[in-house]
Amino acid sequence: MFDNKKIKPQDIGNSSDEQLVKLKQEELMDLPAPYDKPEMEPELTEPKDEWKEEYCTLLDGYVGIDTLTRPKTKEEEEDLVKKFLNGLEKAFSDETNRNYIQPLLLSFEYCAKCNTCSDACHVYQASGKNELYRPIFRSEVFRRLAKQHLEKKEGFWKKFIGADIDLDWRTVARLGELAYRCNLCRRCAQTCPLGLDNGLLAREIRKIFSQELGIAPKPLHEKGTMLQLKTGSSTGITKPALLDMIEFIEEEIEDRTGKQIKIPVDKKGADILLTHNAGEFMSWPENPAAFAIIFEEAGLDWTLSSDMIGYDNVNYGLFYDDAQAKKIALEQFKAAKRLGVNRIVIGECGHAHKAAAVSANRMVSGEDNIPVESFLPLLRDLVVNKKLKLDPSKNDFPVTLHDPCNVVRMMGIVKPQRDILKAIAPQFREMTPNGVRNFCCGGGSGFAIMNYMNFPEWRNKVSSRMKFKQVLEAFKDTADKPDIPKYICAPCSNCKGAMRDILEYYEATEKFNIHYGGLVELVVNALADLEEPFIDFDEAL
Amino acid sequence: MLLLIFVYLSIFAFIFMSLAKAITFAKMPMHGRWELYPVPKEGKGRGEYGGSYMEEVEWWKKPREISHAGELKEMLKEMLFIKNLFENQRPLWWISYSLHLGIYILFAWAFLLLVGAITELSGLPIVTEAGVNSNGWASLVYYATFLTGVIGALLVALGSAGLFFRRMTLESMKKYTTPQDYFNLLFIFAVAFTGILVWISDPGFNYGRDIMKSLLTFSPIEANGILAIHIILLGILLAYIPQSKMSHYVGKYFTFHKVLWENEPNLPGSEIEKKVEEAKKFKPSRNWSAPHFQPAEKQSKE
Repeated sequence: MFDNKKIKPQDIGNSSDEQLVKLKQEELMDLPAPYDKPEMEPELTEPKDEWKEEYCTLLDGYVGIDTLTRPKTKEEEEDLVKKFLNGLEKAFSDETNRNYIQPLLLSFEYCAKCNTCSDACHVYQASGKNELYRPIFRSEVFRRLAKQHLEKKEGFWKKFIGADIDLDWRTVARLGELAYRCNLCRRCAQTCPLGLDNGLLAREIRKIFSQELGIAPKPLHEKGTMLQLKTGSSTGITKPALLDMIEFIEEEIEDRTGKQIKIPVDKKGADILLTHNAGEFMSWPENPAAFAIIFEEAGLDWTLSSDMIGYDNVNYGLFYDDAQAKKIALEQFKAAKRLGVNRIVIGECGHAHKAAAVSANRMVSGEDNIPVESFLPLLRDLVVNKKLKLDPSKNDFPVTLHDPCNVVRMMGIVKPQRDILKAIAPQFREMTPNGVRNFCCGGGSGFAIMNYMNFPEWRNKVSSRMKFKQVLEAFKDTADKPDIPKYICAPCSNCKGAMRDILEYYEATEKFNIHYGGLVELVVNALADLEEPFIDFDEAL
Repeated sequence: MLLLIFVYLSIFAFIFMSLAKAITFAKMPMHGRWELYPVPKEGKGRGEYGGSYMEEVEWWKKPREISHAGELKEMLKEMLFIKNLFENQRPLWWISYSLHLGIYILFAWAFLLLVGAITELSGLPIVTEAGVNSNGWASLVYYATFLTGVIGALLVALGSAGLFFRRMTLESMKKYTTPQDYFNLLFIFAVAFTGILVWISDPGFNYGRDIMKSLLTFSPIEANGILAIHIILLGILLAYIPQSKMSHYVGKYFTFHKVLWENEPNLPGSEIEKKVEEAKKFKPSRNWSAPHFQPAEKQSKE
């Protein structure tokens, strides 16, 4: 085991079965009151022996990839290395990595290793500046391995360019794991004087593992994109199940609000196709319900789709695999085209925003190219132009906003959500920092759904720690007043998943009455004609 | 004469190899959108807070407002002052900026040497036997050359040595630094240092104007001792820079303008759409090996 502060990139090539670093509670970033005492948070645990035997716990003791199993034979060990090198070569080829070769080479070649990015990284900061999680640590390992095996220098020249990391199956496995210790939030790239992007490099490593070695976390690949392409949704929801859920939501709306709403499904020629992260139907049905209430109240011409993939805007390919991302995006456009809608409006899912509106924007042309937009500008116009009768006093409790990285930093949608909150939440307060300089929720790039073995512990302790700190600081005026409910508005499914987990892990709802939810729920909660609140804080307790 | 040819070759090598690098990047296939906000060219004040055209309902129906002034302002802040480093890592900025500012000033110095050489070739000596020519233009050129040369060389020497020692001594930098990184800094320092030694024996930089005159008139460069070493080192450095990561003056253009700030939407009939259609025609001769890349029938057998 190495000292958490002293570990070097070369140590990743350590040929023993040694775990490189081990998190220590006393080294983690301090949390503000009331979490400023160690007994306020659960203790760190040791990885189980069976995980050590089966998976790669050689990095930091956590299992980030549940399909990365230890090779059983010498042949399997060699095969892992060989395939990695093949993948490495393909990542640097403009034939096999056409869509990313230019940004990859730029970030690969020019890093001055000035470490300006370190302060920007929530994982590095929250870990108590554990060297392993410094943004350039992973990039530098990748760079040195690639230089060694692509430039084929020997002797003096090899040392001269820094190609000095030993490569065996453990190096490969540790690097694969390390690619899943970055949320791909790209906050580091905002501070780089040369405009380089460690997030991009982490994603390229994930691509090598998925596209060449067939290794990716099951929730992203097997039960993610593969399941979505097969059944229509990564949740496994099929068309009949979806229709049942929509019926249930209609009943719920009537029960809660007295409003009788028929949610339009597969309405040909509608103006808007609204797409949700299908996880909402299962975990947070109040969110699609709130959308339906608002859209009907505003008299919009809209529909949901029950077509394959048309009802799930999730695209986990964005996190780890270009081919999967493209297959899913094309299916989503096809669903919209079949309905003949004018536009696709993306609901409260951050990565779906980026996937459909930004990444997929250069995958389609001609009639397939249906315009895509976020729900946020649309909702802002409805609120600001008084298309909805709202009574902000109904939301008279502390509200803070979490900015999903994919909506702000990757897409530049910053102001609409603030215009909405200022109009409907009298006690709205910003987190610090916010907007395009926000911190990731810690669940980004798939972490929110990677709930196996001890990975949730790493997420709650490290990658979500900065967000939890921000939440506590935003509510510091009422943190010690458990009678006052506090609401984290997180307009993104994966962010909500991460919020749910940190609030549970730190027992913050139970102890301090801190809640989370979407933005549309807050808007509906402010509807003047509702007799009962739409948001039920007691239900969450 | 050999030295003259060498100097010419090194200048050409610097220019053409830098251009070749830029062309290589420019010719790469169009990449997937990978923008990062704030994008300073976004109009309506959005560049300031990180907003984009996607903040508007049905953005594709609205005219795109681009602020060239916003982009230029941000670009100049980064180019001239290394803004990101200034804001995020001030201690390193002092040293790094010393090196970079020194280089910019030395470019001005080289230009002034050229101006001085042309002035002398046109019959107006910058320096006479009695000292600096009392002619206003000649003395202006002399003193401007003197100041830029001295300040530039000192800043470069200070910056490169400072960066070298910071890398050597600061553990967080040392472990990521390769021998080549140290070599690059030492190389720059060696050129600045030999330049300072030459200047000590010729404080008016007359040697510089003589070299410029030789370059302009294709006559042999007369140099020996430390001046010859300085010229050779500088020549090799000029040819080496475009081949190393010190060519980030090329890379930085692409990282910002072609990646982070490139958010052009694919609209019907746009140039981007044409490129998208072109890209669709590309058929790779090989592919990735994971099971999901294989034809469906092979996947089902597995």
